[in-house]
Amino acid sequence: MLRVEGLTKRFGGVAAIDGVTLSFPTGSLTAVIGPNGAGKSTFFNLISGGLAPDAGRVLLDDADITGLSRAAIVKHGIGRAFQVASIFPTMTVAENLMAAVAAHRGQWDQLGRRFPPPGARPRALEVADLLGLADQAETEAANLSHGDQKLLDIALALALEPSVLLLDEPTAGMGPEERWRMIERVRALWERQGLTLVFIEHDMDIVFRIAESIAVLCYGKVLAEGTPEAIRANPAVIAAYLGTPEDELA
Amino acid sequence: MAESSAPLPPAPSRKGRGSGAASPFLLREGVGGGVEAILALLVLAVLWVIPLAIPNAAFTDLVIRLSAMGLFATSLNLLVGTTGLVSFGHGMFYGFGAYSFALLMQDTSLPLWAAVLVSLAFSALLALLVGAVCIRLRTIYFAFVTLAMQMLLHSIILSWVSLTGGDQGLRGGIPRRFILGVDLSIPRNLYWASLVVLVAGLLLMRHVVASPFGTSLRMVRDNETRAAFLGITIWRAKLTVFVIAGVFAALGGMVMSLFVSGAYPELADWPLSGQAIFAIMLGGIGAFLGPLVGTLILLALNDLVTRATEYYGLALGLIILAFALGFRRGVMESVLVQARRRWPRVAGVRRG
Amino acid sequence: MDLNALAGCVSSSGCLVTQTSSGLIVGLLLFLVAAGLTLIFGVLKVVNFAHGTFYMLGAYFALSTYQFTGSYLAAVAAGCVGMGLFGIAFERFLISRAYGTNVLMQLLICYAVVLIFDDVVKMVWGADFQSMGMPPAFQVPPYFIAGGIVPPFYLVLIGVALAVALVLGVALAATRAGKIVRAAAVNPEMVSVLGINTTLLYALVFAVGGGLAGLAGALAAPVRSLTPGMGFSVLIESFIVTVIGGMGSIAGSLIAAILLGMIRSFGTIGFPLFTDELIFGFMIVVLITRPTGLFGREVV
Repeated sequence: MLRVEGLTKRFGGVAAIDGVTLSFPTGSLTAVIGPNGAGKSTFFNLISGGLAPDAGRVLLDDADITGLSRAAIVKHGIGRAFQVASIFPTMTVAENLMAAVAAHRGQWDQLGRRFPPPGARPRALEVADLLGLADQAETEAANLSHGDQKLLDIALALALEPSVLLLDEPTAGMGPEERWRMIERVRALWERQGLTLVFIEHDMDIVFRIAESIAVLCYGKVLAEGTPEAIRANPAVIAAYLGTPEDELA
Repeated sequence: MAESSAPLPPAPSRKGRGSGAASPFLLREGVGGGVEAILALLVLAVLWVIPLAIPNAAFTDLVIRLSAMGLFATSLNLLVGTTGLVSFGHGMFYGFGAYSFALLMQDTSLPLWAAVLVSLAFSALLALLVGAVCIRLRTIYFAFVTLAMQMLLHSIILSWVSLTGGDQGLRGGIPRRFILGVDLSIPRNLYWASLVVLVAGLLLMRHVVASPFGTSLRMVRDNETRAAFLGITIWRAKLTVFVIAGVFAALGGMVMSLFVSGAYPELADWPLSGQAIFAIMLGGIGAFLGPLVGTLILLALNDLVTRATEYYGLALGLIILAFALGFRRGVMESVLVQARRRWPRVAGVRRG
Repeated sequence: MDLNALAGCVSSSGCLVTQTSSGLIVGLLLFLVAAGLTLIFGVLKVVNFAHGTFYMLGAYFALSTYQFTGSYLAAVAAGCVGMGLFGIAFERFLISRAYGTNVLMQLLICYAVVLIFDDVVKMVWGADFQSMGMPPAFQVPPYFIAGGIVPPFYLVLIGVALAVALVLGVALAATRAGKIVRAAAVNPEMVSVLGINTTLLYALVFAVGGGLAGLAGALAAPVRSLTPGMGFSVLIESFIVTVIGGMGSIAGSLIAAILLGMIRSFGTIGFPLFTDELIFGFMIVVLITRPTGLFGREVV
């Protein structure tokens, strides 16, 4: 169970995240939505150790992970994929994943042997297979298609065997068909791996079809949190984000 | 001020269109360190016997200088090419290695091997201190502050006349130049010794680059954020490679110190760092042997130019401009690209 | 180390004035060079490693112009304008080729230029130390201020440098051109999208940066000896100034430069053997304690 309480982060005078309290039960699939500038990526940064909050707490299974370093939070089991695929372009897919596996096993600073360490390759190929990248294993990451790069980004996070996976706009930059394939893959992954999955998304069709629960952020605050049906009917959310339907005007 | 700007992106990006230039290794992965070591020993054996067959002082001198500066340039590329840490002041370790070794030999009665080890230890300490200050700086500042540190060392060398001999350099030669009973004051013995040091040094540095740690360095270079999000402690990775690079640079300096029987301030002066950077670019920043090849070319060029004209700076400057504006990719990298096209099964290959 | 001499100097108003004035001219010359460096870096993200060459050529141009015309004013104009033009040529023909590549290419190009012009100067002016000597207009008895000796030329130099600093500050803050320059430093793509001719802008920045360094060289010529390679130490120190003062801050450069000038001036009395080391040490202390520099806004 991932919980945040009263999380606040200011940049200059502006509160990008303002007193956010949310919980993500173990094994849940939650979408975080909100207008641009609502603070969604900042929120991910605060949970994953990219930023230290000014106030509030982040708790993972009762362990307080607030403000810990990125490496420490990775050890606690939070993995992350980025809006713009964050991969290692000069290495092949297999090398990318073997490196992640090695890092996960605490071997990133080994000087005594050659890379890859034994057992890294089979595991890396396993992870690649989960994302459908197994046949691209020897392709240089820079030469992958945009969609495959996003998949590799997710694979890198998965290689760390996280219990929580944060996906920042997994379908960003994709056409409509590719988008559905991606989110289906993500959902299948979630089911198979038993992850706590939180994803930021702008495509409302996808959000309402896939997510178990939805959290709506607006101006750094939580506007609403609940099931898709509840969110769909929530007047504040509709007004702020989904648009005010004509017949709701009093 | 924003990091991104129209004129230039922050880091060298290697968008290989299947060019195969991504891997620094000549042989494909999985071939193993054993094969490389055997190849290295073969080359060593060949070079070993040459002066027996064709005695030539110019040749042995060239190889000794190649050993010193090749180690230096390769160690710098651990920072620049492998980790993306552009240090403009790496020469400080070369000079420090030369001076500390020579001083230990002159002022203490340590045998040569011990002086080497102690000097290496001091160099590691210096690298640790300098690195601790510089590592957290961003690219441009890292480059310039390392340069400032080198100039500080150079300035100390010049002003501490009682210790270093000031701008005259260390007089008095290096006593007790014996290792394993071999007298290194005989040029041919020094030739063989520096060959061994060069090959051993290269193999060790190669081992670092090929290890998981080396891969982590490349990750830090290519995508520091992601590397951090994989659990790599960035500052520790950078500081460790900074120390390793400093130690090997110092080793190069010691070879030079033996060659010139002492030490002089130019060994810690900036042109040495500048030329090492040119050597790396010339040979190919993305190839492990690139710096060595570049150093060889540069040494040959230096000899040619100094014989042809007294305006060495002008000539070298024009050559550098021609390279920077014209060729861009280093010699060794071009060789690697060609090799991969023709022998994809042997040479490290990328499909794309 | 001679702390007694230092204490003695500080307590004597005469020595204080003398050293302060010499510290001021050292610092202000440094400021002019550093301002150019910081401007070029701020807008173009280019570390002009050849900036010391601009300073050197400015000094030599001034020397020759003075020897040819006998007019120091012409000499200063030659140094300043000449280096402005040189800066434009340097930017258009050489540095612009390094846009889009990494800092190593920039460095190589600049290093090549340093090597080339160090030798060119040797060829044209000779490798020996040259001296302009004090122009007759300033060969007047020094002023005695509070018992200290202040050559009138120093006052002129200080005045000119401060005036330039003022003009620069006002130009950047208030004029349209200045605003464009500052905008380009923050967001070059936007500036180009807004229809500003970035080619012209970049050339202009190098013209001003070069001109400032050339001016510094020309102003330094009467009080410094000229030698090929005189640019390099100035380069290092002006960079230290920008690091201490905070990259991107003209005011910070001014204060840091004056500080450095004072350290050098009083340092030569108290610590004649390691004034350089003192300055480097100061930079290291600043870097550790205040990574943004004294007045900078972004972390170094």
